[in-house]
Amino acid sequence: MSQRRLNVRSILLPVAVFAAALALWDGVSRAGFFDKSALPAPAAVILAFGQEIRSGRMFNDLVTSLFRVTVGFLIAVLLGIPLGLWMGQKLAARTAFLPLLNFLRNLSPLAWMPFAILWFGVGDASAIFLICLSAFFPVVLATMAAVANIPAVYFRVAETYGLRGFEKLVQVTIPAIMPQLITMLRVSAGLCWLVVVAAEMIAGRDGLGFAVMDSRNGLRMDLLVAEMVVIGVIGVVLDRVLERLSRIPSVRWGYER
Amino acid sequence: MFRSSATRWILGTAIFVTGITLLRYRPWHPPTREAVATEGVVRDSLTVGFLPVTCHLTCPVTDFATRHSANTRFDSQRFTDFPTIVESMKGGRLEASFMIAPLAMKLREQGMPVKILYLGHRDGSTVMVRKDLPARDLRDLRGKTLAVPSKYSNQYLVIHKLMDDQGVKPDEIRFVELPPPDMPGALAAKAIDAYFVGEPFAAKAELDGSGRVLYYAKDIWPHFISCVLVAHEKLIRERPSVVRDLVRGIAESGEWAETHRLGAAKVAAPYFRQDEALVRFVLTQPPDRVSYRMLTPTDEDLGQIRDMGIKAGILERRIDIRDLVDRSFIPTDIKAANIDAQ
Repeated sequence: MSQRRLNVRSILLPVAVFAAALALWDGVSRAGFFDKSALPAPAAVILAFGQEIRSGRMFNDLVTSLFRVTVGFLIAVLLGIPLGLWMGQKLAARTAFLPLLNFLRNLSPLAWMPFAILWFGVGDASAIFLICLSAFFPVVLATMAAVANIPAVYFRVAETYGLRGFEKLVQVTIPAIMPQLITMLRVSAGLCWLVVVAAEMIAGRDGLGFAVMDSRNGLRMDLLVAEMVVIGVIGVVLDRVLERLSRIPSVRWGYER
Repeated sequence: MFRSSATRWILGTAIFVTGITLLRYRPWHPPTREAVATEGVVRDSLTVGFLPVTCHLTCPVTDFATRHSANTRFDSQRFTDFPTIVESMKGGRLEASFMIAPLAMKLREQGMPVKILYLGHRDGSTVMVRKDLPARDLRDLRGKTLAVPSKYSNQYLVIHKLMDDQGVKPDEIRFVELPPPDMPGALAAKAIDAYFVGEPFAAKAELDGSGRVLYYAKDIWPHFISCVLVAHEKLIRERPSVVRDLVRGIAESGEWAETHRLGAAKVAAPYFRQDEALVRFVLTQPPDRVSYRMLTPTDEDLGQIRDMGIKAGILERRIDIRDLVDRSFIPTDIKAANIDAQ
């Protein structure tokens, strides 16, 4: 019974907050503090949303952005985790590469934008490049730190059992860093979604980020807000999905205190 | 358990990636952007860059006009800013585009082989001031903030010419660079006192009631040039017939837009993704706010822009205008394009 009440509350409370935010928005826009081109009314946004859905543009933009973020993120993960594992295990590699990685990590993807266009043109490749860049360095660094912090006793036990090389990696190292790895995946996936607007500014003709810039150029604040709503909702969904990773039984130990 | 969870996640990811890739590329749809085949004849096609400004209106109109014609198909690609256009051209992925005239000169100065083939339009820029300011000319804007799209814009150059004419010193007006779409909002919020920009970003403030017109570009510099059609020399060398079709298409679209203002607004608004009423307002209130005639670039016009650019410090050397312009593709007989805007 109390579990069910908890479930109901976990739905009702956020819905109530959203409804209140919506009402506040509507109130402010009706009160006329801002010009309607400076703050579109919720009703106008819903109309714009409908218009975008019917024309099929919203779906196309959404698919495009999801595609770019997924591919960019996966490339970052597939390249970054092995590199992080290697650097975590080898002190010399850490000493050699860490300063360079830290240097590159601090460069905003926005700064890379001109090069992205020069090297990859406008379209999927350049957006994927920027999204990948934004996730790659955090993935490498987090994996490396997680590996470097595995208690030495784990490896001694592994050696006692005669585990070496690949076996040691699969049976000791990866399970030991799994909780941090999952947290890192969540954070960096969120980061990828966050930079999608910036990365797609140069996307050419589609994508939610392009649509945001385009609505701005077209002086259509109603469309812009509709796209912002979609970006926010997808961000939440993305995080909910990745949050499930932390419920995998064999990694839950990392989250329970 | 971990293994099965891991398998589930890997499988789920694979399915998602495959699904989203299929939805993105729709292999079941035939490609539309490459050479388009109509009735068995493969047509040439060319992508031309533009921004959603009235100055580039002939670009989408030409796209619209060549959708079903027998000649080259022109695919207008909307960009959101000039730097992206420039970088796309430098990267060799865009061979022709509209851009502001001083920017084309800057590219030439930097050694990029581009040619100006034609003009976008004449006039079509406006100085807007806050409605509550009593300013009657530029002298009244001393100590005020005036926004321009960029230091490389003609607006920035022309306003300096007007300041010269009226005896206003360069540091007496505070200049800020703002993206054109943000200008009407900034004026309404009183963050700036005036702005000078290409349409429709000026008309927007007029329609919203937050600004009024101080000068039309034609009042400051009759037949003001803002943007030019630029092509890479490689394109001109390798596909001259496509370039010829392009310039003719742009010229005839311009002639059509000049005489079919309402139709032009209707055709262009979806390409610009702007409110049709706004585009219509720009094209009709008053009609001579924008002109799509006399679009042959003269050495004198461009030389004047170059010299102003050097004076304002955005250009470094006197490039030879004859190297920059190629008028050989401009048709002598310009008829209005045959466009059905319904």
